Amino acid sequence: MRNVLTIAQRELVAYFTSPMAYVAMLFFLGVCGLIFVLSTSMQMPKADMSGMFHSMIFLSLLMCPVITMGLIAQETNSGTYEMLMTRPVRDVEVILGKYLGAAALYLIIILITFEFPIIFEAFGAPDWGMTLTGYLGIVLAGLAFLAVGVFTSSLTSNQIAAWLMGTFLLLFFWLVGWLGYGGGGLLGDLAKSLSAYESFGDFEKGIIDGKNLLYFITLAGFFLFLAVRSLESRRTV
Amino acid sequence: MIEVEGLTKYYGPHPAIMDVSFNVQAGEVVAFLGPNGAGKTTCMRILTGFMPASAGSAKIAGFDVMEQSLEARRQIGYLPEHAALYRDMRVRQYLRFAGKLQGMGRVELHDRMDLVLEKCGLAERADQIIGTLSRGYRQRVGIAQALLHDPQVMILDEPTIGLDPNQIREVRELIKSLAGNHTVMLSTHILPEAQMTCERVIIINQGKVVATDTTAALTHQARDAETMMFRVAKDDASIPTVLRELADVKAVRPVKGDPGAYQVETQIGCDCRPDVARAIVDKGWGLLELRPLEMTLEDVFHELTTELEGES
Repeated sequence: MRNVLTIAQRELVAYFTSPMAYVAMLFFLGVCGLIFVLSTSMQMPKADMSGMFHSMIFLSLLMCPVITMGLIAQETNSGTYEMLMTRPVRDVEVILGKYLGAAALYLIIILITFEFPIIFEAFGAPDWGMTLTGYLGIVLAGLAFLAVGVFTSSLTSNQIAAWLMGTFLLLFFWLVGWLGYGGGGLLGDLAKSLSAYESFGDFEKGIIDGKNLLYFITLAGFFLFLAVRSLESRRTV
Repeated sequence: MIEVEGLTKYYGPHPAIMDVSFNVQAGEVVAFLGPNGAGKTTCMRILTGFMPASAGSAKIAGFDVMEQSLEARRQIGYLPEHAALYRDMRVRQYLRFAGKLQGMGRVELHDRMDLVLEKCGLAERADQIIGTLSRGYRQRVGIAQALLHDPQVMILDEPTIGLDPNQIREVRELIKSLAGNHTVMLSTHILPEAQMTCERVIIINQGKVVATDTTAALTHQARDAETMMFRVAKDDASIPTVLRELADVKAVRPVKGDPGAYQVETQIGCDCRPDVARAIVDKGWGLLELRPLEMTLEDVFHELTTELEGES
């Protein structure tokens, strides 16, 4: 556990000593702010977050692979990977440490967006239950997205390739549910149950459903497991 | 301290190292010597647990590097080839990170930090960002991180590569000072380096150990004759024939491209210099120079590594 925290701390500090943290914040908070301004300057603005979450989750989907793309690919490319992996550290500790570092940055960014419901509070009476449920969805989905990104970063020494693969995988999980609307049947249900979009949809409406919690936790666990296996398999090449 | 038995590693069908075996005693400084591509780095990567061997076993301080990988890795301070460091970190910050992952406690880390910074000549650069350091200083940070947790075994892959002559000298001194307290294994393709820093060398070529002995024994063992060279003022065609008549002289050859210079081979264990000198002076050829030729490790190395190529 100590090793996990040591690695996580290094990653979090590295995000802030490189442009990465600032670029990610600028992108996420900038676009969120823009959408906030646009949506509240409409004729009949609603003083709640329901519209915001829809944009935020998609921005998360785009941002998460960017945050994670360098985590392992960069180390492989620069050669620091060898020194890290010859220390008395387990592969799973390396993956969890890096994941936790990325998750910390993600949570910091999401925390800053809390300004929006606070502003709403000043001008109206937002539904806090719904707001917090939405945030729970944003956090859970983000943690799953980051796990996918950690996995793709472990596959290559090229950050761009890691980012593209991560984005591709996430878009797949985002869009796969649409197949369910076309055909239906067993395959359609399967497509819907794989869909991150469907699972997030309930959170957005203010519903906490165990099946959706399980979906994101499983997604995160599965890809972290694959990432550990990916590091293990590298040792045997 | 380091026990290697029949280590073999294949990259695809091609063996990088083949049946490599050797032992390193506690407190020894041993050089792993070989031309580029001989399998030195492969061997060190197996020892440090970075990759598994295809066959054979290796033990560090009694721990199998594959079966008890974490325990084995805990005993090692490793400087990989081209010590790659996190360029965005400061020296002290990086060392703290390295020490924590090596399992050092806060107090221990605090105590060792200044000592190691001092020893590696980094005290004044401790708060500099690694990316802004020169190649030589970065190499020192690499050595510092390998030394920080006071490991029993240090494995240094090409520790002086890319350094300027003064830095090379400093690093060699540093390595020498580690002998006794640490078991050091360093790889190099620079012969004088092995001769200067190590008591023993393991010569590896094309993935196989071709010789392992002390530097002194190796240079001695490889020569089957004593050689000397001399230089005369007046070159004479009769020089070889006249000298060959002396007792114990086996061969006399002129040195190519250097008129007046000759090499003389004599029976092993006898010093014929007085006889040779007397003969030259008697003939009035004008003796300018006479000295014994020591076979250098370089000659031994050349002989061993090219012989093998001829066989295969």
